[in-house]
Amino acid sequence: MTKEYLLFMLINGLSEGMLLFIIASGLSLVFGVLRVINFAHGSLYMIGAFVAYSVSTLLTTGSLMSFLVLLLVVPPIIAVIGFVLEVTLFRRVYREEHLLQLLLTYALVLILDDVVRVVWGGDPRNVARPDLLAGSVDIMGLALPTYNVFILCVGPVVAVGLWLLLYRTRSGNMIRAAVSFPDTLGTLGVNVSRVMTATFMLGCWLAGLGGVLVVSLASIDLGIGMQKIIECFAVVVIGGLGSVGGALLGSLIIGTGVTFFQLPFGRWALVFPYLMMAVVLIVRPWGLFGRPER
Amino acid sequence: MDNQAVNQSQSRNVNHAGTLVIVAGLVLLPFILGQLGRTGEFWIWVTTEMIITGLFAMSLNLILGFGGMVSFGHAAFFGVGAYTVALLMKKAGVPLFLALLAAPVTAAIAAAIIGWFCVRLIGLYFAILTLAFSQLLYMIVFQWYTFTGGDDGIHGIPRPEFLGPTSYYLLCLAIFLVCFLLMRMIVNSAFGLSIRTIRENMERAKFIGINVRRYQWINFIIAGAFAGLAGGLLCELNRFAQTEFLHWSKSAEPILGSLVGGMYSLAGPAVGSAVLMFLKIILQQIHRSMVEVWAIVLCSILVVVVLFAPGGLASLYEKLFRKSDS
Repeated sequence: MTKEYLLFMLINGLSEGMLLFIIASGLSLVFGVLRVINFAHGSLYMIGAFVAYSVSTLLTTGSLMSFLVLLLVVPPIIAVIGFVLEVTLFRRVYREEHLLQLLLTYALVLILDDVVRVVWGGDPRNVARPDLLAGSVDIMGLALPTYNVFILCVGPVVAVGLWLLLYRTRSGNMIRAAVSFPDTLGTLGVNVSRVMTATFMLGCWLAGLGGVLVVSLASIDLGIGMQKIIECFAVVVIGGLGSVGGALLGSLIIGTGVTFFQLPFGRWALVFPYLMMAVVLIVRPWGLFGRPER
Repeated sequence: MDNQAVNQSQSRNVNHAGTLVIVAGLVLLPFILGQLGRTGEFWIWVTTEMIITGLFAMSLNLILGFGGMVSFGHAAFFGVGAYTVALLMKKAGVPLFLALLAAPVTAAIAAAIIGWFCVRLIGLYFAILTLAFSQLLYMIVFQWYTFTGGDDGIHGIPRPEFLGPTSYYLLCLAIFLVCFLLMRMIVNSAFGLSIRTIRENMERAKFIGINVRRYQWINFIIAGAFAGLAGGLLCELNRFAQTEFLHWSKSAEPILGSLVGGMYSLAGPAVGSAVLMFLKIILQQIHRSMVEVWAIVLCSILVVVVLFAPGGLASLYEKLFRKSDS
């Protein structure tokens, strides 16, 4: 086990973590504003991946153009789906008890997963990487898969973009105000329910982006939604529900943790997120960056 | 006042008579179905599974309806029970009745460990952690090929000679009735009332000196034990155990049943899940492809129930009834 190998693992782990962050930040953002944990977030990510697959069959494989088209087209599609869900379903349960919210989004998971199964079937799918990102790059004498490095770069871009949006724009101010003082925001004449819808759509857009990115990273099947939502739970539980910064930290911990646990434990490394989640939930249930509720 | 008491005791008598008729009907059912040849045998099998899923749903409802804790990982204990029976009978050659006794015990142990962590959390976090633990267990069973058979599951579990479809149905029915009475005792006991108090107002329950965590933990263990028994019974009925038994979608079944049947009553979840299963089988008979969209239809119903009739179909009926009354 050389230093290069460890570096290799680290890059892989971090790129896994960045992908996770893109999805989990959406979940966390939505929870922060809407106070509803969206169990269906993983399903939306999965739909994003399968839609990306379907769109890619219409385009030339391997060209950079078609990859860019996927990146531009698919996330908005998921955001539109999110819009429909928010307006028709989620909006009705904001003021209901937790139990009903949980059951509603859970039912949505079952529905969406079955829709995917009926529409796309259970075969594993993937999309060829664009030629530009298909090979490997030399970093410090190491041949790293370009695509992983690419994801590693997209993650920070998304993180900075979210930060700029939340802290440097008027819409971001409104989103943050909706997190802390929704009622005051309403009395100030802001249409809070529109802010909520927009936030939900943003969360879904991020899920869709994750879906596009994953479909060229690994092959996708019907299980990825559930797998990812539990990893996302682990991330937001570790980082604190509603905190985007926490989601970044949690994602990196989970991503690198799983990768490095593979060295001594092999396949059992998959247990790592659960262990981390259990530990954090017991020691600090509101997460490392979150605030205690109630 | 007297009049009311008389009325009450009368309605209770009617209730008792009704229960007796239903039980008698359930006991006679396989003999009637037995006359129908192969279709009858199929329906005996279906009704047996209905009874088992009913037990499973009722066990979940101890924590969901009476305890007010949403668990998305109840299949974990169902699966533990099923694998206990499968492993004991297939690999250790233990007789069925001993294996069926062991199923709730191992499930209770699993529930004690998982529950110890979970009851430290409330609401949302509780739901997440139960889901995570059940997925963890699912993955362990899935990966541990040498012990659990992984993806293949465990097949060819022996069935004692004397247990035909009818007698197995009767065995399940008897166990179901005993469990039903046990659960009724639990729910109406001081313990059960405390659990309901916790559901209604946790803070107050704490103030009057109820050890909330311990009560919830014990409740979680009891529910897990009953679920384990149900899992063991289904394992013997199918004569195999597979990872599906632990899958998160299995955890959804009793939740759906409870919601449809009404989660604030004891028998509601059993009725609800039996109704759902009946619908599924009927749809299957009409057209095979209907099964494909079954979950979509079912969950759309669930969404409607959640949005408009949180107390289940029973409450919807009540609502309509009361409206027309006033």
